[in-house]
Amino acid sequence: MSDLGGCASEHCITCSDEGVPMRVLEPGTDGIAVCAGEDDAPCDVLVDLVGTVASGDTLLVHAGVALLRLEEGALR
Amino acid sequence: MKFVDEFRDAELGRVLAGQIAAAVEPGRHYKLMEVCGGHTHTIYKYGVDDLLPANVELVHGPGCPVCVIPMGRVDDAIAVAREPGVIFTCFGDMMRVPGGHGTLLEAKAEGADVRMVYSPLDALRIARENPEREVVFFAIGFETTAPSTALTLMRAKREGIPNFSVFCNHVTIVPPLRALLESPDLRLDGFIGPGHVSTVVGARPFAFIPADYGKPIVVSGFEPLDVLQSVHMILRQLVEGRCEVENQYARVVPYDGNMAALRVLAEVFELRPHFEWRGLGFISHSALRLSAAYAGLDAERRFRVPGVRVADPKACQCGEVLKGVIKPWECKVFGTACTPERPIGTCMVSSEGACAAYYNFGRFAREREVV
Repeated sequence: MSDLGGCASEHCITCSDEGVPMRVLEPGTDGIAVCAGEDDAPCDVLVDLVGTVASGDTLLVHAGVALLRLEEGALR
Repeated sequence: MKFVDEFRDAELGRVLAGQIAAAVEPGRHYKLMEVCGGHTHTIYKYGVDDLLPANVELVHGPGCPVCVIPMGRVDDAIAVAREPGVIFTCFGDMMRVPGGHGTLLEAKAEGADVRMVYSPLDALRIARENPEREVVFFAIGFETTAPSTALTLMRAKREGIPNFSVFCNHVTIVPPLRALLESPDLRLDGFIGPGHVSTVVGARPFAFIPADYGKPIVVSGFEPLDVLQSVHMILRQLVEGRCEVENQYARVVPYDGNMAALRVLAEVFELRPHFEWRGLGFISHSALRLSAAYAGLDAERRFRVPGVRVADPKACQCGEVLKGVIKPWECKVFGTACTPERPIGTCMVSSEGACAAYYNFGRFAREREVV
């Protein structure tokens, strides 16, 4: 669907109500961390709602915002 | 059993299907609604409904925000996108939703600067990089995406970025569920509750469903075994005469929700008096607009928005599909005049829409049955 302007994956972030597990690569500053999903390129994620994060933490990310911290092993 | 693979185990699926078959009472018909488009997608993709007894029927609810956006709001978005100097940003699926005067994708082809983004933070970055242009973000989604819009607005205000604004179409989950429960043409026995919305709002807001309407609801995850287990939990409540909110998705959803996210939403947004939902009409207090503190970042105040109500095409039966009154394949134009490539209705646009999900996955199973 990407050629039609849709999401790259089969789940759309807008309507699938889907959170994506992502691992923190760089904690960053000012509430923005660099994170990546299992098969995704790194991207900026707002982490204001989950407090201080560290490299290797796993977060549930929705539309660029981390909604909560997941347990170790959530992302393989 | 916390993450993905365990929740797609075929053998466990068969065990759960057996437990469901053993739980139902012969001769009784069970009609359960999955609220979320994500659940609809899972059900069709993995053939979950094929594992259920014939007397357990799943109907698809209004939990896809793209599907419930009325055509008039799309026309409003196109009008803003066509304003001189505007860069209009939105999520991908929204670009293909037809309004009364075409789609945002068509507006882009005709010269409007419409760009796809993956988060509102991308839109804010575009605003920083283009200080001479007005950058508008089309905000859409339930309480799951609203925090990302809210945090981006807080950031824009804090940084004093004057050329960024939001065209807000965020909706809330509880009012449409109440509207459905009040609907005389839809008799439901229980709900598969929305998992990731509940990550923000928690399971508590759904307590009115058993309390006021005597129906069970189970907040559910999105893997096939999540959905099967949720169906089993609802059926057990019905068989045992219980009626309560249960949380199948406890590995992610806290009962009280995410308090930090709820505080952010309360600061940035306020409830609209009413908002139009495709297929459901106007529902009181069912959508968000920017609060007075953020009014300066409200695109509806910054630009002229037509605000004209547009009737759905006569051939389109998205309204009935969204209320679960008809199945996707019962729509007159399903798979013929209306396909994912050339959608007439919103349910065929989004990969999570009931019609698109069925078109992409379910129809093949149905064809096999016919053969």
